[in-house]
Amino acid sequence: MRRWLLHPRVTLAARLTLGLVFLLAALPKIADPPGFAKTIWAYDLVPAWGLNLLALGLPWLECFAGLALVLGFWVRAATLWVGVLLLAFTLALAFNLARRHPVDCGCFGQAAPKTEAARLTDMRWSLLRDVGLLLLVIQVLAAGRRPERPSS
Amino acid sequence: MKRAFPSTALQVLALAALAAAAALLSNAVAPSNRRLAWTGAGFPSAASPAPPVRPTSTEPPVAQPAPRETIPLPSPTRPSRAKRSESRRLPDPPAAAAPQAGPIREISGQEAWDAFQASWPFLDARRSAEFAEGHIPGAWSTPVWEADLDDRLIFFKAARRPGPEDPIVIYCSGGDCRDSHLLAARLMREGYGHLLIFRDGFPAWVAQGHPVDKGRP
Repeated sequence: MRRWLLHPRVTLAARLTLGLVFLLAALPKIADPPGFAKTIWAYDLVPAWGLNLLALGLPWLECFAGLALVLGFWVRAATLWVGVLLLAFTLALAFNLARRHPVDCGCFGQAAPKTEAARLTDMRWSLLRDVGLLLLVIQVLAAGRRPERPSS
Repeated sequence: MKRAFPSTALQVLALAALAAAAALLSNAVAPSNRRLAWTGAGFPSAASPAPPVRPTSTEPPVAQPAPRETIPLPSPTRPSRAKRSESRRLPDPPAAAAPQAGPIREISGQEAWDAFQASWPFLDARRSAEFAEGHIPGAWSTPVWEADLDDRLIFFKAARRPGPEDPIVIYCSGGDCRDSHLLAARLMREGYGHLLIFRDGFPAWVAQGHPVDKGRP
């Protein structure tokens, strides 16, 4: 079981999935920082002075981390970043879900306006997706930790 | 395990530095509607839009509430317009009608139409792309989330020269859109004391069949 879970092909699939998801998530946000700033503001977790810094920097961090994972360079560092970001996204969503403060995920850029109930439902799905992606991060990190790295 | 060069910690930092550099560069070359000021926008928090907003019901009665169908006709709106331009010069609305007076008040579609007929200035707080797709005729594009908001507001003030007690109508896309509230809070801080938020916003304007303009300001 353990051998199967840490199989290099599984690691490759996990790495590419994470990389592509982060690249796809980064592009619409890079294209529209004001829209992303508004999204972050709606989460009501970031102080006003940090809003624009985050809206400008975060998408590029996602982009480079995703690019590194897809191209296969600096994999461990990129995976660490992706893990930290996913953890932050998960906590932000979970916190707002817990206080029933409906927000647009904004994960892949701006979405069409929705009702509050639809938003809360979407937040649960996004949370589930983030947890799934976090499992992939753990897989990539665990596979990279093994001293005898099979070449494939 | 052979240590790769640079070490993981250095790679982590390098990724962050790359991101910061790319963000700086892209923000510098971005057009104004895609740019952000690096320092925070100074907006109030999303959960508690700070300024107290008077509910619509405290409005001194606006003539007779005209039925929706007759809205485009000028006759029912004219008397109310006269009444409103009178009442706006009063420092305080009747105490019985408005227990807590504030500079920001939400208005209905009918009142927005009256304000339009009276050619009060309208500010469109939505994104400039949304403004280009359609807006209330004569409205000023003042997107709260875009970097050139200051310039656009200065342009508006220079052109209309609104006094602190002159009415300014602000709208966005209705529903749970908070952009017009953010803009109103900002104008209130600048000393404007008669800010009217068209609560249902542009979608309601379109739904009521009122005129719409397209294109850039």
